[in-house]
Amino acid sequence: MKQLPLKAKERVFDRKGKMPSEHYREQLFELEAKGELIVHRLTDEHKPVEIETKFGRTKRIPLQNTWHHKSCGQCGHIPGYSTTIFWLHRELGYAYCDPKEQTSCTAWNYYASSTSNPAAQAAVALRNFAQAYEDGFFPLIHCGTSYGHYKEVREQLIHHKELRDQVRRVLDKLGKPMVFPEEVVHYSEWVHVVRDQIAERQVKNFENVTVTVHPACHYHKLIAEDAIYDSELYDGQRTAVVSSVVRALGAKLADYSTWHDCCGFGFRHILVSRDFSRSFATIRKIERMKEEADPDVTLTHDTGCVTTLDKSQFAAQAHDRKIGIPVLADSQFAALAMGAHPYMVCQLHWHGVDNRPLLEKMGIDHEKAWAEFEVQAERVKSGEVEFISWEDC
Amino acid sequence: MSDQPVLVVGGGPAGLEAARSVADLGEKVILVEKADVLGGNPILASYAALTPDMENAEEAMQRMIDALAGDDLVTIRTGSTVVGAEGSAPDLKVKIAGAAGEETLDVSTAIICTGFQHFDPGRETQMYGYYEYDDVITLVDAERMLKAGGFKRPSTGEDPKRVCFIQCVGSRDRQIGNQWCSKVCCGIACKEAIEIRDFLPDCKVFVFYIDMRMYGFWEDQIYWKAQEEKKVNFIRGIVTEITKRGDTVVVKGEDTTMGRPVEVPMDVVVLSVGMEPSEGTLEMAKIFDLPLESHGFIETVGGPLNTVCTAREGIFAAGAAVGPADLEDSISMAGAAAMKAVGYLRRLART
Amino acid sequence: MEAIYADTKYRDVPVEEKQRLFDQVKSDMRWEETLYGCYECGICVAACPSARFYDFSPRVYAQIMAREDIHAFYELLNDSMWDCSQCFSCTRCPRQNNPGGIITIMREVAVNNGLESAKAALTAYSRIIYKIMSTGTQVAPDMLQPDFFPDWGPDVTAVSENLDIWRRMVPPETLHTTELAWDVAEKTRVELFLIWKLTGNLEMIESLDEGIFMILEEVMEELLEEHGYDIDDIDSVI
Repeated sequence: MKQLPLKAKERVFDRKGKMPSEHYREQLFELEAKGELIVHRLTDEHKPVEIETKFGRTKRIPLQNTWHHKSCGQCGHIPGYSTTIFWLHRELGYAYCDPKEQTSCTAWNYYASSTSNPAAQAAVALRNFAQAYEDGFFPLIHCGTSYGHYKEVREQLIHHKELRDQVRRVLDKLGKPMVFPEEVVHYSEWVHVVRDQIAERQVKNFENVTVTVHPACHYHKLIAEDAIYDSELYDGQRTAVVSSVVRALGAKLADYSTWHDCCGFGFRHILVSRDFSRSFATIRKIERMKEEADPDVTLTHDTGCVTTLDKSQFAAQAHDRKIGIPVLADSQFAALAMGAHPYMVCQLHWHGVDNRPLLEKMGIDHEKAWAEFEVQAERVKSGEVEFISWEDC
Repeated sequence: MSDQPVLVVGGGPAGLEAARSVADLGEKVILVEKADVLGGNPILASYAALTPDMENAEEAMQRMIDALAGDDLVTIRTGSTVVGAEGSAPDLKVKIAGAAGEETLDVSTAIICTGFQHFDPGRETQMYGYYEYDDVITLVDAERMLKAGGFKRPSTGEDPKRVCFIQCVGSRDRQIGNQWCSKVCCGIACKEAIEIRDFLPDCKVFVFYIDMRMYGFWEDQIYWKAQEEKKVNFIRGIVTEITKRGDTVVVKGEDTTMGRPVEVPMDVVVLSVGMEPSEGTLEMAKIFDLPLESHGFIETVGGPLNTVCTAREGIFAAGAAVGPADLEDSISMAGAAAMKAVGYLRRLART
Repeated sequence: MEAIYADTKYRDVPVEEKQRLFDQVKSDMRWEETLYGCYECGICVAACPSARFYDFSPRVYAQIMAREDIHAFYELLNDSMWDCSQCFSCTRCPRQNNPGGIITIMREVAVNNGLESAKAALTAYSRIIYKIMSTGTQVAPDMLQPDFFPDWGPDVTAVSENLDIWRRMVPPETLHTTELAWDVAEKTRVELFLIWKLTGNLEMIESLDEGIFMILEEVMEELLEEHGYDIDDIDSVI
């Protein structure tokens, strides 16, 4: 029938159109002009790269001289996640700072229990930002929730003078300046921006690896305008991070019908009401992925999402659910592509779902790698070395 | 009779009505239309039947076009746009660009009838997948199919068994920035639902809505008719996501009367896209220095008691250029604008 | 006062008390950008993960708060409120309401007022509160114990058995820790404790869990003293 509507592939979306009237960056500069705070700027030293966000506005992502705002869940339970973020920086030659003078964003607790208030949350955020400013490095946020929460804090500070005044009083007592970075940057945005450099150094063939992507709610739903969108991916209709890396590394990007669903982390639920997280992750995400895409791995870019998707699958076996998809962070996936050691660097032994079949598909000899790990473990057990260093990897 | 013609910008329903009315009142009129044909959205977007009487859109527009033919008082320039304007009524100088190049005309007054454009679903806050899934289409795509004499499932070319409409796409939304109701989409969706049920008696049709805006006689002429005669199902609750499972698209929404989230497969999803001020409307506002009201349409002064006068004397606007309007609004405003334009000139002549 | 319904786990209170709690939510500085108007489109419920597994509806929160139904509000405050997963999928709302945000504020009010239901919801969770407030990190490697996470699988047992060695084998220096997620500098912990005192956060914990509060206060007092601060001299500045 000639009059059938154009197929979706032939429809062209032109993303010009109304932008939200308020722009946080302009508003931050306005507050700075009034003397209310200092905007920590991106300069040439950071080698910033420009990308587009949801409504076509631009955002700049620093490549180097970044202050790594670490994630509690990553550092605590998924150390390979943090490690690979640092490893990628080291391999690509980008200088960074890994500070001890950093607190958690405390947002996991805030969303779990609300045992806090906007002033405390903003003060924690701004203390970290002031520290980065004083240390001379630009903040790069590891966790999706920290990122979303800091975007929320930014919006609250911009709109409420009362809050700004409260936080200023707190910071004055700490002897810290009131600073806010020009952009709140998530590490997956950095990975997105350097994906071609990662692909250049790729030594493992991922052509036979099928990947499903799970985007973190707090990355793209909280303050939705500030997230990376690219017209070459999903026609600019879904956030481009993580998926762009899968493409760049030559793996097969597979879609599934619950792509937009939350993972079920719940903040409080994952710790003390796990039946919800477990049920949601298994039934709404993992089973759907398995049935519709049968992936070799699912990738995500947030601490909570890795935790929920990875840890929910074990108990589900008792209910004969279709599960068994390894869960990795985009940084771990990229690191493996570049030949990183699966256990010394990617720390895959901390993960729940068996990822050895995946490693085999990637052409990685995991038995040999584990033997190497055990040799290194002996060095530590015997007291030969106190800690394993980057050089040992 | 004034020496200079009244300028009517836009040859859709409002423009056609305005031009003919001005001529009926004995004044010269020049009608400038961007497209190569007259008729506006009903013709350019291939509307099938008009709401609510199901009259053939093409035939109705042709009647209006024919009424202008052969009238000495009427000059028509298709394939032309107004690119500049100087001076003020009753001595306006406008520059018109067309196939034959640019010409400058002296006109007495102007009536802006440049109408609306349909909302692009790619800018929707919800995840509708218009650029991902063949089977997600808009009201306009549906009209085109209906005009061609049928309704098919785009991905397979076969008759669909389950079709749904999603209302308020691109309207009533603070995040998109289109905070208005587009007025006609509920009526059009019901009309299309009736047409689809007539073509496909075995096809189930659903309408997902927030409120059914069925003004005046539309209530029983199309809403009750759709529901009672044609067994169209109305579900109170809008859809937030459309995804695909296998070959079928699945819509995810809440059935608010049951208070439950629902996920249902559909063969075809029709997005009831709303109206936005057209590019032509925004251009004319700039060229004629007309203020826009808070939603971005051309501002008329005088509220409900004066629907066609802009802030500039002697310049009028009619139809969807001033806000969401159905066909009756557009035709009525066009007549009012013509009367006001000619009345303005006659009053000047008396003083 | 006895509960109206025999099976509720929370006490009923006089209507003035319900009104007081309600007014506290509405007077929060974030309220005006949290709830505009609701035309019950249901997008929030459709997007909400908790709505699929619990008897929970973000739309109901928007409606109840807009209608100022303080009795229904009090029920929600004591019950389904803790089902929200704070994912903010509901911010797809075309009116730009934030039902998750309504709940964040309601939870703060519940905690600040020491509601029994809040305490009950957070009972098992309080050790995490202690961890985050006293160390500056939310979870620590030594929390991966099979008795706390039996459902997470055998990797938890493997980690807990090899914890010390495996942590020493994580390359970044800051991660050579087992009691907290990364090595937080002492000066930074002091600053964090100051923030808790200056924002009234420590006092918030007192109304929630006295036991945790006492241990926390002790730990904070000690560290602050070492750095020249008297915990009793630090008042809230908000």
